[in-house]
Amino acid sequence: MTVADALMLALGAIAVGSGVYVVTSAHLVRAGFYLVVSLGAVAGLYLVLGAELVAWVQILVYVGAVVVLLLFAVMLTRAPIGPSKDLDRPVAPAALIGGGVGLGLTVLLVDAFRWTEYELPPPGTGRRVGEQIFGAWVLPFEVLSILLLAALVGAIVLSRPDIGARPDPSAAAVPDLPPPGPVDESAEVKARLERIAARQAAARERMRAAESPDPGEAPPLEKTREDVLKEQAHDVVFRAGDARPKLGVPEIAELSEGGKSDPRVIEGTSRENPERALPRGEDRALPRGNDRALPRAPEKDDEET
Amino acid sequence: MHAVIPYVVAGLLFALGVYGVLRRRNAILVLMAVELMLNAVNLILVAADATIKSALDGVQPEAWAYPVPEPRAGAIFALFVIVLAAAEVGVGLAIILQYYRLRRAVVLDEIALHDHEDDDEIADNKSARVTG
Repeated sequence: MTVADALMLALGAIAVGSGVYVVTSAHLVRAGFYLVVSLGAVAGLYLVLGAELVAWVQILVYVGAVVVLLLFAVMLTRAPIGPSKDLDRPVAPAALIGGGVGLGLTVLLVDAFRWTEYELPPPGTGRRVGEQIFGAWVLPFEVLSILLLAALVGAIVLSRPDIGARPDPSAAAVPDLPPPGPVDESAEVKARLERIAARQAAARERMRAAESPDPGEAPPLEKTREDVLKEQAHDVVFRAGDARPKLGVPEIAELSEGGKSDPRVIEGTSRENPERALPRGEDRALPRGNDRALPRAPEKDDEET
Repeated sequence: MHAVIPYVVAGLLFALGVYGVLRRRNAILVLMAVELMLNAVNLILVAADATIKSALDGVQPEAWAYPVPEPRAGAIFALFVIVLAAAEVGVGLAIILQYYRLRRAVVLDEIALHDHEDDDEIADNKSARVTG
């Protein structure tokens, strides 16, 4: 039992154990992450066996690309977070066939190799692999590059419905059939679209009423009590009321007199003079008695409805 | 080094992959199980690559057995299998996502292979989508 044996035993146990979780876990995302662990342990086995380049390519391509792609697919298909119930078929035939395959392979390999000691080769370098790939195996290499290109183009064509879409003969016979898209059929979506359209029509109507030169319905009268309350709440939340100019509020003068802690206040210029107290009467004359500035432009009311 | 350890690990991983392919109904999980099987094959290739030098000791060298001076091509085959697996996952996920866009499902049992214009099934899927 050498160090290599112990390492291989540990890594093999990790690979097989997390592989068990991959095929039995009820969480889709957890299965993906256990697959990462399993593939990483297999990469460690490659390292122990002296195939460095294969190990790093395994980590780069499998853990870095393939598993990320699988997790993307898990999320694009709206997989539920948490355990899914209907993930599995009945266990009996799968366990029978899988157990049979595992038992048969194990017995075969154990019988073939026994406990024979093999000499580990010197760790392979990228130079040897490169010489072999571009020497003896250059034709399969080029064929593989063409295959990768074909797979790329095929995936793009598959996932884009506007490329290579053929006119369907049955659709030509019945032209007014609705497309089987996911968006445009359910009653819920239809009702929501109708509600949006009604709201837009109402807003347009209000805009037209505001733009019309009819003086009888002046826009300042549209400011209801709810709007004022909303504005006040907005000011309380965002402290915007302090920044707004106030008309005839007596607290400003008192503050400037008593608030000597504020260094920005210049003393002597903010005395209360009788001319300032005058606009208070005008303020009360404003509609609905709000102590705030003049009513806003009528276009903003459309957003709030 | 005892060569039986990586071989047995590879056999167990392959069995797990077979079990997963047969057991799972979700297409993405089936792809994950296929990845496990491909990794088992890779592991066998690399293990054979590591042990073939000492296993071939004393064997008469023949021309067909040595296309290259050093008879260790298992790592190259493993690289090729990794490339094939990447292509397979790309196309497989494109198919799965396209099917999901059409039917809102990734369950393999409910894919109708014989009649594509089966309106009853589409209506069933629609009603299931509305209720669920």
